[in-house]
Amino acid sequence: MSATKTLQLPTRRYWLGPALTWEALKYYRYWFVAAIVLSALLPFLVSFSRDIDTSTWSYTANIGAIFTAIVAGGFLYSLAPSFIANSLTRRELVVSFGLFGLTWGLFCGALVFAGLVAEHAYYGAMGWTQSIEYSGELTVMASFGQAAEHGALYLLAYPLYFLGGAIIGAATYRWEGTGWLIAFPVAVVVIGLTDALSRTVPTGPDWLRFVTEYAQGWGRGAVLAAFAAALVIGAAIGYRLLIDIPVRAKKA
Amino acid sequence: MFDDGAPIYRQIADQIKAEIMNGSLEPGGKVMSTNQYAAFYKINPATAQKAFRDLVEEGVLYKQRGVGMFVAEDAREKLAGDFRARFFDDVLQPLIREARQAGISLTDIIDYLKTQEGVLK
Amino acid sequence: MSFSVSLRDVTLKYRDSEALSNVNLELEAGKIHGLLGRNGAGKTTLLSLLAAFRKPTAGTVLVNGGPIWENAEIVSRVALIREGGDFDDSDTVKSSIETGEIRPSFDRDYALKLADKFELPLNKKVRSLSRGKRSVLAAICGLAARAELAMFDEVHLGMDAPTRDAFYKELLADYMDREHTIVLSTHLIDEVANYLEEVVILDRGSVLRHEPVEAFQRMGATLTGPADAVDAVAVGLEVLAEQRLGGTKSATVTVLDAPTRERAAASGIEIGPVGLQDLFIHLTSPERDGA
Repeated sequence: MSATKTLQLPTRRYWLGPALTWEALKYYRYWFVAAIVLSALLPFLVSFSRDIDTSTWSYTANIGAIFTAIVAGGFLYSLAPSFIANSLTRRELVVSFGLFGLTWGLFCGALVFAGLVAEHAYYGAMGWTQSIEYSGELTVMASFGQAAEHGALYLLAYPLYFLGGAIIGAATYRWEGTGWLIAFPVAVVVIGLTDALSRTVPTGPDWLRFVTEYAQGWGRGAVLAAFAAALVIGAAIGYRLLIDIPVRAKKA
Repeated sequence: MFDDGAPIYRQIADQIKAEIMNGSLEPGGKVMSTNQYAAFYKINPATAQKAFRDLVEEGVLYKQRGVGMFVAEDAREKLAGDFRARFFDDVLQPLIREARQAGISLTDIIDYLKTQEGVLK
Repeated sequence: MSFSVSLRDVTLKYRDSEALSNVNLELEAGKIHGLLGRNGAGKTTLLSLLAAFRKPTAGTVLVNGGPIWENAEIVSRVALIREGGDFDDSDTVKSSIETGEIRPSFDRDYALKLADKFELPLNKKVRSLSRGKRSVLAAICGLAARAELAMFDEVHLGMDAPTRDAFYKELLADYMDREHTIVLSTHLIDEVANYLEEVVILDRGSVLRHEPVEAFQRMGATLTGPADAVDAVAVGLEVLAEQRLGGTKSATVTVLDAPTRERAAASGIEIGPVGLQDLFIHLTSPERDGA
């Protein structure tokens, strides 16, 4: 964690989160490179055998969302005790992971956004159609604007996935054996809201559509409000889980 | 090293006294610092300090502020005097008692001491 | 600067049991304190409270006069090193050390110097270290924290004797270099006894004794001799333990004043010292009612 060097007491809580993002990006750098390269290379290879009609980046984006949740939960689970042992207060821990989630979520969201827009140009140049597939049904991204709109979903979704993962990680550490069960309600809310959000653009939703049948008639404003509420409530739950979290006793 | 039951600081004080008596610490000479003692014997520095404080009180060592601890000029005489004062009660009396129990007569002891005096001279 | 510790009516309950009950304890700043107790006596729990690893169920925990909980100013200068350390096992040794830099006072150069001295492989993963090396890593992080209150909980486990010796030497050197408060919790009592200035004995969640180490040294004596004579002298004394071998009896007593000592010597009883460890064993033996 060399990026944490020369931390000062009043500001360490603000440095630690971005430092974690930096360290995590460094740690997973080959994964990122592989994801970017494969997202471009795979359709090219497949194009020799059949026509390309679905967006590869939309799959990458969904894998990235799950990956973001795993990074959040895994890092929190394994680092919280070591950070507290190294004198971080719970409040500082909350701020650190909040900023970690924000910087990580926005970075990865921006990457997906750029990936989908670039893919639109790439597919256009190759004469392929960029569309979203849901049980055999294809919705075409007709313009750069639609690709960008679809990509923008992830800028909102990734921070929520991060928050969900962090809540699962914190609960799992806090309640040994049973805490992980929180993953079920968290997953329903996070995936449901993301799908509801993607329903508000012409190209969404792309998977688990049944989860959001209820949101069929919601306007974009209502979904965004629900999304914002989920972020606030999720942050409050995360805060509550962490603010008096004990460092576990060692196994004898 | 420290195991005969007396508190460690007493044992250290005794050891310093012994070093003064056998000449390895000269009168007026500088004594190692408490920290050096603590590091050498692997003990808490407060323990070493206690030994030094006792020795200063007894007038065996004296302190020069900012410089260190030194052996008093008259330390050896003082210690020898103390030893003489305690010799008959603390050393000779138990010895004689034990000798009696073993059936060694007083004259035997005196004879032995006389021969030793010749040897030790 | 060095930190004092003050616990007032501190109780900590785990789900099904009370680990500490109504503990009141003051530890003076700038001293080396020993924390002794049998397994489950509450040592680790007590230390966890002092480092804000947990919150007490009831009572107040003050360090340097201020509450430790959520107090970055103070907790950043308090280090608790638990057996095996608190590391992310998938990290390398080097980055585990560098995580210590969350503390503004962390001395990275010192940590790396110690890592070299104790032959720690910097690029190895923490999970692949032997138990002894892991303990060394934990100890190094504790020393390099340059804390005002440094606590080591069974940190010696897995270290071989020369390593333990080198660690205590280093700890002592740092202590003499820089005034701070140290708490050592260990089962190897005789090994650390000479380093201590104060000793706290915990027993079943309460403070059993808290005295300067010399008080413990003066405290105990063993009387060995003819059974009748030993019994006669031991009348009215607090006897911690007794043993018989034929006509010879040995009794361990807590306090032995000068007249009794003389009386014992006169009746042919041999008087021996009791090490801190033996004293501890007797004081915390389950047959005694937590006195």
